[in-house]
Amino acid sequence: MFSKRSIITYAIAFAFIITLNFLLPRMMPGDPLMAIYGNEALIAMTPQLKAELVERFALDKPLWQQFGAYLLALFRGELGYSYYYNAPVLTVILGRLPWTLLLVGTSLVLSTLLGIVLGIESGWRRGSRTDRIMLTGLMSLNGFPDFFLGMLLLIIFGVTLGILPLAGALTPYSGLSGPALVLDVLKHLVLPMTALTLAHLSSGYLLTRNTMITVLKEPYMLTARAKGLSPRILKYRHAGRNSMLPVVTRTGIWVGRVVTGALFVELVFAYPGVGYLTYEALLTRDYPVIQGVFLLVAISVLAANFIVDLSYPKLDPRVAYAY
Amino acid sequence: MHIDIKKEIKESGPGKAGLLILLVMIALALLAPVLARYNPFLQTADSLLPPSWEHWLGTNHVGQDIWSRLLFGARTSLLVGFGVGFLSTLLSTIFGISSALVGGLYDKVVMRIVDAFIVIPAVIIVILVAAYIRPSILVLIMLLALLSWQGGARVVRAQALSLKERGHVAAARSFGANHFYIAWRHIVPDLGPILLVDFIYGVRRAVFMEAGLAFLGITDPTMVSWGMMMRDALRFSYLNVWQWWLVPTGVALSLTIIGLTFLAYAAEPVIEPRLRGAEVA
Repeated sequence: MFSKRSIITYAIAFAFIITLNFLLPRMMPGDPLMAIYGNEALIAMTPQLKAELVERFALDKPLWQQFGAYLLALFRGELGYSYYYNAPVLTVILGRLPWTLLLVGTSLVLSTLLGIVLGIESGWRRGSRTDRIMLTGLMSLNGFPDFFLGMLLLIIFGVTLGILPLAGALTPYSGLSGPALVLDVLKHLVLPMTALTLAHLSSGYLLTRNTMITVLKEPYMLTARAKGLSPRILKYRHAGRNSMLPVVTRTGIWVGRVVTGALFVELVFAYPGVGYLTYEALLTRDYPVIQGVFLLVAISVLAANFIVDLSYPKLDPRVAYAY
Repeated sequence: MHIDIKKEIKESGPGKAGLLILLVMIALALLAPVLARYNPFLQTADSLLPPSWEHWLGTNHVGQDIWSRLLFGARTSLLVGFGVGFLSTLLSTIFGISSALVGGLYDKVVMRIVDAFIVIPAVIIVILVAAYIRPSILVLIMLLALLSWQGGARVVRAQALSLKERGHVAAARSFGANHFYIAWRHIVPDLGPILLVDFIYGVRRAVFMEAGLAFLGITDPTMVSWGMMMRDALRFSYLNVWQWWLVPTGVALSLTIIGLTFLAYAAEPVIEPRLRGAEVA
């Protein structure tokens, strides 16, 4: 059920990312070793290590042979070595990934569910006062960048009221375990999660509301109404369920952006996820890490799109006939 | 296809509000040198002052006047926004129309590239590039434009495909008109409203991206940027300076984006006529 067209698209996207990852550092003026490994590497560099690194990426050979060596390393799952963290890039990224998944995952679920419910209610009452207030309110919310929302929450609840922690994902060196640890993690999660949820609420809402308005005009809605079904069933089972398709697609695409989705919010709250890692790597010019994150982003985006494409015909049988 | 976009915006409450907000921002940006009372880059010993008659919004950590920086920040934001919006709409138009008219292999190649770019999040590409080269404002505008024309190209192509089957285009073709003539005289004029909506979305996305990237520290050091100002303010969030440093900057940025959102929303029925009447029905 998977179209040739999508496969070509993903192949192009992936090839572009790998090529960019390969070419950028090698096109830079100066020592390519520094551009590939970052500033920290030069401090740790011994002649022996240097020879080994040049050898690994075939840096003394023509460009196309270098590209071959680069691809070979990728196939073996080698994302490189971060001299800043003194650990393989893959280990560094995987260590941060759970925090990002927790933060983005919870806010994605919350914002999607809330967005769908608000969208259904608003679309059902289209043109009414409630609808107009919700529409204007949520469109305004849409204009607030997530980092600004995050900073406002930080200042109100963290600094002024002092009821929630300011930064991080855990209280350091607290030695907490069991329920106390879970509570600690949740306390640190609340503010960044709220910021992200608020920032993404409106897109789910707007999509649902728009589809809802179209769906409400369908003849089967009239039939359902004529059967004497209760408004709640009409609203949620008949109209609501059929309005969910675009939101599911959007959520799927957002799942792919899980890695970069929380970039700014993680920075505001110094939340130790992949986004914050990317920011630190940008500051310290830790190129291997940036490249690794970039590759990870590419893979997750493509995987998410793939899954959305696969699940589409199941959600909407009409799509199955289109192929 | 003959829809009056001015009427569309005038008849919608949010549309009027959006236009008003945007016009105020443009006015502030244009009049920045007149309205600002200090050089926005001038560092003085009077750091972290509260608002006063001399400094309407106080001063920042290196003694720069925040009100002046806010005004000059509007220039950067709008310059990047309109620059990217213009370039990206231009690219959308060129690739969308040429794809529709030329067709065949060229169309396939362009559309596959478009699909591939839509899939990749632009932020991470800019971060990767910025890690290697410190982009000046021009480079930033070009980079963002290169990463944001694809969605528009798809819309333009779809519209051009339908326009090209119309009678007047067939008539022009029978008189021997070539692709360029048809594109310029018969397709571009009819695409007007769609291009305008695409442009507004482009500006909105670019204002958002510019602020976000500056917040990460990716910005032209010779310009004042709202994102950069907020990043500086975050470091002093434990003091009460956020009230006149962070909040006005964030509100200015959010208002600009909200204005553009409202404007785009009011013009939206041009692209999606099914939404028309959603407000009155």
